[in-house]
Amino acid sequence: MNQFRWKQIGFACAFMAALWACGGSGTDTPTPTPTDQASSDRKAMLTNIADNIIVPSYANFKTKFDAMVVKSDAFAAKPDKTTLTDFRQAWVDAYTEWQKVELFDVGPAEQYTLRNFFNIYPTSVTGIEDYIATGSGTFDVPASYPKQGFPALDYLINGLDTTDDAIVARYTTAADAAKRIAYLKRLTTQMNSQFTTVYTAWTTGGYRDTFINCTALNAGCSTGKLVNGFVLNYERYIRSGKFGIPSGAMTNGTVAPDKVEAYYKKDLSLTLAKTAHQASIDFFNGKNVKTGQEGPSLKTYLNGIGAKDSQTGKSLVDIINAQFESSNQKLAVLKANLADEIKSNNAAMVAVYTEMQKVVRMLKVDMTSAMSITITYTDNDGD
Amino acid sequence: MRDYFHKTTSAAPLAVFRMLFGLMLFGSIVRFWSNGWIADLYITPHYFFPFYGFEFVKPLGQYTYVLFAICGLSALLIAIGLFYRVATVSLFVSFTYIELMDKSTYLNHYYFTSMVCLLLIFLPAHAYFSVDAYRHRSLLADQIPVWCIDSLKLFVALLYMFAGLAKLNSDWLLHAQPLRIWLPAHNDLPLIGFLFNYPWVPYVFSLFGCLYDLSIPMLLWNSSTRSLAYIAVVVFHGLTAMLFPIGMFPYIMIVTALIFFPASFHQTIIRQLSSWLSISYQFTRPQRLYSYQPIVANLVIGFFAIFFAFQVVFPFRHLLYPGELLWTEQGYRFSWRVMLMEKAGYAQFTVKDQSGHQTIVNNTAFLTPLQEKMMSTQPDMLLQYAHILRDYYTQEGFKNPEVYVDSYVTLNGRLGRPLVSPSVNLADKEDSFKHKEWITSFNDTISGL
Repeated sequence: MNQFRWKQIGFACAFMAALWACGGSGTDTPTPTPTDQASSDRKAMLTNIADNIIVPSYANFKTKFDAMVVKSDAFAAKPDKTTLTDFRQAWVDAYTEWQKVELFDVGPAEQYTLRNFFNIYPTSVTGIEDYIATGSGTFDVPASYPKQGFPALDYLINGLDTTDDAIVARYTTAADAAKRIAYLKRLTTQMNSQFTTVYTAWTTGGYRDTFINCTALNAGCSTGKLVNGFVLNYERYIRSGKFGIPSGAMTNGTVAPDKVEAYYKKDLSLTLAKTAHQASIDFFNGKNVKTGQEGPSLKTYLNGIGAKDSQTGKSLVDIINAQFESSNQKLAVLKANLADEIKSNNAAMVAVYTEMQKVVRMLKVDMTSAMSITITYTDNDGD
Repeated sequence: MRDYFHKTTSAAPLAVFRMLFGLMLFGSIVRFWSNGWIADLYITPHYFFPFYGFEFVKPLGQYTYVLFAICGLSALLIAIGLFYRVATVSLFVSFTYIELMDKSTYLNHYYFTSMVCLLLIFLPAHAYFSVDAYRHRSLLADQIPVWCIDSLKLFVALLYMFAGLAKLNSDWLLHAQPLRIWLPAHNDLPLIGFLFNYPWVPYVFSLFGCLYDLSIPMLLWNSSTRSLAYIAVVVFHGLTAMLFPIGMFPYIMIVTALIFFPASFHQTIIRQLSSWLSISYQFTRPQRLYSYQPIVANLVIGFFAIFFAFQVVFPFRHLLYPGELLWTEQGYRFSWRVMLMEKAGYAQFTVKDQSGHQTIVNNTAFLTPLQEKMMSTQPDMLLQYAHILRDYYTQEGFKNPEVYVDSYVTLNGRLGRPLVSPSVNLADKEDSFKHKEWITSFNDTISGL
């Protein structure tokens, strides 16, 4: 009996020793990148993202947006070609700056669905004209999203007619000029109130502290929501909205040049797309909006947890940044007016979509898997 | 051998197991119900993913609630030992039915529970300290054949052994995958969180996890190591409960492992319960032996022999398939492979026909987020979904629609790759137990079992 037990124990020990040996020898073959404790600190990452990226980006946007409201009001008070030109320039500046904040689909921006009130396009011309004619109408239901925001302003200052004189006439001599001016005012008021709600939640409403302290990786906490919002924005609003849908790449080749962003301004769509794309890259790399220096970010976090292609050992961050660069190269050859590109050079548009699709996969599958984040937003690719 | 089957032992461990298992299961059903999961998982979805060969098992609409009610009631009846035989059969049938309705909810511990229910049908867990025995004193017995308890121990031991064997692979032991991905996600936990920032920690966790699974049955069986082993069970499963979203599994295993404790331990529990319930001494000490009729005993033992032979062989069925198991998942389920993979994917389907119809599928219109997540990484589910799409678009006027998938899957930190070649028309691939030759080859090696 005793002997039997000793045999058993001996066998168990030998077995475990063998396993130890197996496991032990493994630890030194592919040397694991030491986890940098500071880089894998999500609170540091969230703090940098809040204080040096999100809040200053919102502040920059606020400056441009407020300036646009001033020009809009000036145009409303005295509609002429000069005030129209000023308003248009301010609109371009604010719309471009918007591209740098649309990706923060987290916290109050997610809660109040900020994007819906700022940048749903193609805009609904008949919807806008109906609202102008009746002089009223809610801005809070989904059907009203294409009747407001930057795309609606685009139509109202660039798309009413072919010449500036004719456009100004719509605000001066036309029968509904007063109503049209009133609608401009309603639009900017609506945008201002939506943005102010979101911005003050970050600055004085205490959301910044909530954001940096919710460090768990479950769906309810900051990192998961931030990454979900970021990937969603890249997939649905950059890849699909700016390229996949208008180019027909996602719609069985049916091109829709009228679905490009800033359709009435014509030559702004590429700038907006490039700005949004660069904002995503800068966000990924943690670029401080004020100083341009990189700080704790998705990049440093992924490096911190040693994320790499476990087959080749290549850094996941390098792979993703290289793919961002490939998309940039395809963007670089496009001309300013994407609606024209679709009509004459659509292969180049589709090529951008194809490269961006590769980024989407890396962000949505490789990056989230490496970070243990679950993608919780649902696809609507076919829409 | 013949002697072994005549050996008897106290009925207390089996009775305590019956009560705890029944209560645990009842609790699980209540939890499932109150979380709204019956509707979320079995009523709201438009489509389901049945198991191959079990396509007739479908959710029952609103009656699915009745199914869960039967299941919960049966579990409760088993806990108190009332109408035991009927309750075990109805628990086994209802629980297994629920498990088979949609493979996107597949969990190894559901399979474990289902199989334990099956064994319980044939075991005299109601002979002692049950309402049945109280009502029919002829049934009452405090001694049962020893194999009745050993068979449960053996089943638990098999589960751990196979779980341990599955961890003997290069991803788990040499690369600490997927723990290397999962642990740093918890580096903000109080007290122990900082540990997960050290690169060696996942290696240690992997090694101990593997050693634990392989050795715990032996250590629980051996009386001199049992107490320590049980502490290990509690710590191990407690830790997994804290770190991973695996629901009731850790608690079920913590409770199940009590079956290894000696009769005296369980008798103490029974004695305590008796004094609370003011149950007479005669009821807990009847000094009687439960014995099967000889013919029944032979049939049950024969059935158990087949059951265990199946359980030993079935987890090895993946050897019949070419390709990397973790990638193809052919023979992956029902084999106690737990926590082995961090797998995520993306699948975009295109449906087209010869007359020029073509569409990119919006998965959300067909599947729940959970179903989509599971479908995008599991080949058999990709195929089932492709057939759902084929049938749907046929009704929409497509003529012999072709279904293609643009898939992208990452496994244990490897950069994503297509799981299925985008040029394969899945509409005319049939599901079967044969190798699915349209799954792309893995292009890497994971050595081990």
